[in-house]
Amino acid sequence: MILLDRVTKNYNKRGTALKSISLHVEPKEFVIIVGPSGAGKSTLLKLLTREEKPTSGKIIVGGIDYETLKDRKIPLLRRKIGVVFQDFKLLANKNVYENVSFALEVVGMGNKEIARTIPKVLDIVGLTGKELSYPSELSGGERQRVAIARAIARQPKILIADEPTGNLDADHAWDVIRVLEKINKYGTTVILTTHNQEIVNKLKRRVITIRDGQVVSDKAGGKYK
Amino acid sequence: MGRRLTGLRRVTVSGMKNFFRNSWLTVAATAVMVVSLTIIASAVVLNVTAKNAISELSKNLQISIYLKDSASQNMINQLTQDLKSNKAVASVTFVSKSDAQKQFDQTFQSDPTLVAGLQILGTNTLPASLEVSLTDLGQINQVGAIPNEAKYSGIVDSVTIGKTDVKKTIARAASAQHFITVASVVMAIIFGLVSMLIIFNTIRMAIFTRADEIKIMKLIGATPTFIRGPFLVEASMYGLIAGLISSGIVLAGIFSLGEKISNQAEFTKTYHYFTSAKIIAGLIIGLIVVGIVVGVFSSLLAMKKHLRLKTW
Repeated sequence: MILLDRVTKNYNKRGTALKSISLHVEPKEFVIIVGPSGAGKSTLLKLLTREEKPTSGKIIVGGIDYETLKDRKIPLLRRKIGVVFQDFKLLANKNVYENVSFALEVVGMGNKEIARTIPKVLDIVGLTGKELSYPSELSGGERQRVAIARAIARQPKILIADEPTGNLDADHAWDVIRVLEKINKYGTTVILTTHNQEIVNKLKRRVITIRDGQVVSDKAGGKYK
Repeated sequence: MGRRLTGLRRVTVSGMKNFFRNSWLTVAATAVMVVSLTIIASAVVLNVTAKNAISELSKNLQISIYLKDSASQNMINQLTQDLKSNKAVASVTFVSKSDAQKQFDQTFQSDPTLVAGLQILGTNTLPASLEVSLTDLGQINQVGAIPNEAKYSGIVDSVTIGKTDVKKTIARAASAQHFITVASVVMAIIFGLVSMLIIFNTIRMAIFTRADEIKIMKLIGATPTFIRGPFLVEASMYGLIAGLISSGIVLAGIFSLGEKISNQAEFTKTYHYFTSAKIIAGLIIGLIVVGIVVGVFSSLLAMKKHLRLKTW
C-alpha cells in the first residue's frame, strides 16, 4: 500500500529532516509512528500527502509513483488519502453536517448522495444527533471525530492521523483512538503519529520509531520507550 | 456531466456568497468600476456625436465659383482641371445656367412671387457655376485661391468659400472631439487601473479571509478550478453589476440630454443612432463584457500572486 525507498528530505535552512528512510506498509495495516519533536514524523506525513517532494528516493502509495505524478493529478491522489490534524482544521462557520459535506462537495458528489453518506459516517464516529452543532459547541474529542468523519467520508484507502490526540485529555483521546481502530477494522490503512506512550503501549500495533530523521526501530506489537 | 453541473452550481453559489459577504469592499470595487465604464462609454458616445456633427456640418462647406456668362468652355475646362489636380478637392461639378434655374425653381417653389418675379425679367439671370467639394477642410482657403488667380479673371465672376459661422463651428467641434478623445483615453486608463487595483485587493482579501478553507480544500482533493472558480465568479459579478449600472447612467444621459438637441440637424442622425434598440443592446452588452474582462483579469492576477496553487 505504501512504499518508501531510501527517501531523503533536505531543507535549505533547517538541514536534513529525513535520511534515507525505507518503509513498507501493507494494506489494512495500523501503523504508529513515534519519535521526539523534530524527529521527522511530520515531514514523513507531508511527503505521503505530497505537500512536500522528497530530495531523493522513491515513494509509491496505492500504486501511484510520486516521481511520475503530475501536479494536476495531485487532487486525485489526495482523494485517496484521508488526513486528520492535531488542530482539527474544521471550518468554524460551518456546522458538523456542513463540515463533512464540504469535503464531499469538493470532489463533486451530488446532494442526494451526500445526504445518504453523512449519517453513516457520523454513526461510525459516534456523532449522530450532532449534525447541527458548530465546532465551538463541541468538545475537543468531538471536534476531532468530526475531522475524522470528514476524512473518511470519501472512503479513502489510507487515513493519516497526525497527532490526533495531541490536544485531548485521556478519555477523549481514547474515544478518538477507538474510532481509528474501528475504521481500520473496516479495511482502511491507518498511519498514526503520537507522543502518547500509554496509547502506543496499549494498542500493541506495529510501532516505527524515528529519531534524527532515521528509522531506529520497526516492531510489530512494539512499545514506545 | 451531472457532477460537472453540480460543481459549476456550487462554484457559482460560493462566488455569489463571497460577493455579498464583504459589503463595503463590494460597494467600493463596483463604484470605481461604474465610474471607469461610464467614462469609457461617454467618451465613445461623445466622439461619435462630434464626428457625426462635423460631417453633417461639412456638407454645407463648399466652394462656389460663379462664372461670367461670357466664359469660354475651354477656360472652364482648364479651371476644372486645375481644381481637380489639387489633392484636397473631392469633386468639381459644373452647374449650367439652366441647372441653376431649375435648382432655384425647386428651392423657391413654395414662394411663387419670387419665381414669378424672376420670370418677369424674361431672361435667366442666374450665373453658371462650378461647385467644389473638399476632402480636407483645412485646405479650403488654398483651393479657394485657385479661381482668383489672374488668368481666370476673365471667366470668374465671384468666389464664395463656405459660410464663416459654419467654418468656426466645425473648427470648434473638431478641437472638442480631439480634447474628448485625449481626455477620455487618459481618464479611462487612470480609472481602469484604479478599478483593477481595487478588485485585485478585494480578491486578495477574500483569499486571506478564506485561507483555512482553501488549505483544507487543497488537502481533501479539490481541483484548482474548483478553488479558483468562486473568486472568478465574484470578480465577474463586479463587472456584471458595474456594466448594468454604467449603461443605465449613459443611456439616461443620451435620452435626457439627447432629446433636447435631437431636433438640431447635426445631432438628429446621432440621436436616432444611439436610441436604436440594436445600439442600446450593444452598449449594455459591451459594458458588461468590458467589466467582466477587467474583473476576471484582476482576480486572475490576485490569484496568481496569492493563491499559490502551484505549491500543493
